[in-house]
Amino acid sequence: MMVITATAKYKGTKMREEKLSEMIEEKVKEATEVCEAEERLEECRVAWDEVEEVSQARADLRIKLKLLNHDPLESFCQENPETDECRIYED
Amino acid sequence: MAVSTIYSTQALNSTHFLTSSSSSKQVFLYRRQPQTNRRFNTLITCAQETIVIGLAADSGCGKSTFMRRLTSVFGGAAKPPKGGNPDSNTLISDTTTVICLDDYHSLDRYGRKEQKVTALDPRANDFDLMYEQVKALKSGVAVEKPIYNHVTGLLDPPELIQPPKILVIEGLHPMFDERVRDLLDFSIYLDISNEVKFAWKIQRDMAERGHSLESIKASIEARKPDFDAFIDPQKQYADAVIEVLPTTLIPDDNEGKVLRVRLIMKEGVKYFSPVYLFDEGSTISWIPCGRKLTCSYPGIKFNYEPDSYFDHEVSVLEMDGQFDRLDELIYVESHLSNLSTKFYGEVTQQMLKHADFPGSNNGTGLFQTIVGLKIRDLYEQLIANKATARAEAKA
Repeated sequence: MMVITATAKYKGTKMREEKLSEMIEEKVKEATEVCEAEERLEECRVAWDEVEEVSQARADLRIKLKLLNHDPLESFCQENPETDECRIYED
Repeated sequence: MAVSTIYSTQALNSTHFLTSSSSSKQVFLYRRQPQTNRRFNTLITCAQETIVIGLAADSGCGKSTFMRRLTSVFGGAAKPPKGGNPDSNTLISDTTTVICLDDYHSLDRYGRKEQKVTALDPRANDFDLMYEQVKALKSGVAVEKPIYNHVTGLLDPPELIQPPKILVIEGLHPMFDERVRDLLDFSIYLDISNEVKFAWKIQRDMAERGHSLESIKASIEARKPDFDAFIDPQKQYADAVIEVLPTTLIPDDNEGKVLRVRLIMKEGVKYFSPVYLFDEGSTISWIPCGRKLTCSYPGIKFNYEPDSYFDHEVSVLEMDGQFDRLDELIYVESHLSNLSTKFYGEVTQQMLKHADFPGSNNGTGLFQTIVGLKIRDLYEQLIANKATARAEAKA
């Protein structure tokens, strides 16, 4: 049975989406602060690299769900339907 | 490709016997002709030929759509490994396995923060392990590959990867280490210009509440020094570079939607015959839109010419603009040569299969698809070559 959905199917995926969005917010704030100090140049670069990493991870998840119609937890949840992560997400 | 060792032993009474090589992954069937004394060795290897493709780009392993196009050409849909870590970066289809090189991070997010090193820095990556495992897979041996979890930023327990027919290693550093480079049968570098990168990241990130134009800009700028030092130089080693630039057809366009894409193909690469327009090795400028083909604004413009790229001879096929209709695409396809298609319209068919993917109406989708066909061609030639060599080696 194929459910065409543009959003997360499982609770675990929804949680990952939210977590990543939160992390983007946090890490942008962090990078902005760290970069204010000129002598922390290396830390500044690392901080923005982290922002890039989570931004890309967030975007990948969005692409998987919207374009590829694939929830990354699909296979795991077929095997473990009773876990909390695998509860079907209700909007 | 798998290396096979041939053992010849004296069989006394049996007409068939089995033996296995010391690398323990291959079984050899020997048959002695009963009528003659001539020994006839039929070599059957369980280990298949594995080709390794390297794909370098800044967007990490998120090129799900590029990978989809590539694997779609080989047949079958690429999916994450069944039942494993849901945060695995690996994709597997019938013929192809795609490995994300972030899995070879020696430092996780916390380690990198502590050492003050970005993911772009070679110091954050274990090239010894990368080399060992790619080499093992190429020679038909399965490996337990680490998993870098992009959500937690930690290294998760490894997953078992079986040697596939086609192994694609994608990420920031597929061509960085010379030993790994030597294992690649074909390599691609996706070179996005700064303006297009900025436009794409705006499209990617503006919907996120954490981001603004400033933060997107700052992130690109902060990563640029490491990117220029460690990632960009790899393009000189690539057999094919897909260069993405702003269009020249719309003055001052900064939306990054209409693109000028250049497929830079190295000459003299084994099993790789560059695509050309009309007359190989000449210089052509072609606007397909006119009497026979009506295009909507801003139209399509092609260029083809020989050139030099980092001291290598290359052929460059360039497309500026976008396709609006199916017939534009098929018209263009019918005028390109050396596409390595198996039937007329195969490029168009592949493009239509993924019509909703980004780049489906411009050179990025077109050239990604063509590169996929070239890799399929390379694989088939390599297999045919090995089979011929084996047939000739029969006693």
